[in-house]
Amino acid sequence: MANEKKTIKFEIVTPERLVLREEILQITVPTQEGEITVLPEHIPLVSILKPGVIEVKREGKPNEIMFVSGGFIEVQKDKIVILADSAERGHELDEKQIEEAKAKAEDLKNKSKHLDNVEFTKIASLLERELARSQAFKRWKKISNIN
Amino acid sequence: MAKTKDISRRIKSINNTKKITKAMEMVAAVKMRKAVEAVLATRTYSNLSWELILNLAKMSQLNGSATHPLLVKRTKAKKVAIILITSNRGLCGSLNASVIMKAKESLEKHHIIDNQEVENSFILIGKKGEIFYNYKGAKVIAEFPKADIITSTEEIIPVAKLVIEDYLASKYDKVFLAYTDFINPAKQVPRVKQLLPVDIESEDKYLGVVGKSAQVGVTKEFIEYKEEKHLHSGKYVHEYTFEPNPQEVLDMIIPRLIEIQLYQALLESTASEHSARMTAMHQATESANDMVNELTLFYNKARQAGITAEIAEISAGANALAEV
Repeated sequence: MANEKKTIKFEIVTPERLVLREEILQITVPTQEGEITVLPEHIPLVSILKPGVIEVKREGKPNEIMFVSGGFIEVQKDKIVILADSAERGHELDEKQIEEAKAKAEDLKNKSKHLDNVEFTKIASLLERELARSQAFKRWKKISNIN
Repeated sequence: MAKTKDISRRIKSINNTKKITKAMEMVAAVKMRKAVEAVLATRTYSNLSWELILNLAKMSQLNGSATHPLLVKRTKAKKVAIILITSNRGLCGSLNASVIMKAKESLEKHHIIDNQEVENSFILIGKKGEIFYNYKGAKVIAEFPKADIITSTEEIIPVAKLVIEDYLASKYDKVFLAYTDFINPAKQVPRVKQLLPVDIESEDKYLGVVGKSAQVGVTKEFIEYKEEKHLHSGKYVHEYTFEPNPQEVLDMIIPRLIEIQLYQALLESTASEHSARMTAMHQATESANDMVNELTLFYNKARQAGITAEIAEISAGANALAEV
């Protein structure tokens, strides 16, 4: 265990930008099968992400919280790559905007009782995304308050 | 004096035009910079996703499981669709003409298969292409509006969805993408590439890669190198674990790849459009300058000639008076 590497390279990208690239200790991501935590020396893995909160543990710095709306995670021997559909870091999240978007999504869902399946799934996924976003924000607030 | 007045009026109007072209040049320069930034930002995602697909496709081949329908090549491509990206507005040199020409050329290359004419259909993004093909009466399946500055992948999702659905429904056997590749602010190249089926054996090194920078090129050698580096440790070979399973991951990621390819092409085209406009407007400003210089020369000549004539008249008159 003595020469085991403690940190691992981590990269999260969306089609629009590179969100974060850092050396990290561990990461927790929401996959379709459930939440997983990846540590250095994990076996190579590819998995699908669902909307949720990513939590990154770093050395000597407070944890980083990120919202992700879906995508993929690729774990390599010495590197973790997340290809996200869209992602936002904790400090980029705006409470008012989130609450508005969430309310709108909920409103849409309530109105949509008579809609067809396709439309309904669309709205449901929108709502799931907004809920995940607000969850990420709460988590982020909690962490930044501690520090 | 009438002549000098005419000339000075023309100088004024040319100067006004010059101001406009100069302003357009500046605006295009700003837009270009934004578009280029966006292109560069997308590059990482695009390369990484392409890498992932190559790995996945190899895995599912090794396991003998069925590959994704979007990866399967159809033996005879009788119906071909082409997605053509043009600009909304003109005043950008030969940009639109050259991409339309290029598309036409590459369609003509595969014009006839088994003595049967290939059916071509068009999916158009941008007004200039719409005008051209509607005038020609070509089979246009869809026309999508194009935003001036592209900010998110959402702009391209309807196009990707349409293409994938129609392809799976066998409405076409091959889909090409025609766009203008941005190489540098002074050089844009019209390019046509195959979008569907996704050809993982393809020689086209640039399929998943944007820009011609050698450092980011994801070639097969690079994948092998990467595999060597990341998956081998000593004698042991690691294999990727897929969750829930390779098939499902493949199902998810391939449509994303199509989207990202389209998005990238759209960004490249936008960057090209703005830089082409910038160059065209720069040239217009310069030729306006030349014209003003020339006209100023004429103006001075005419003015001087007028003065000389006037003096000659006056002195002739004075001479006539003196003689009396």
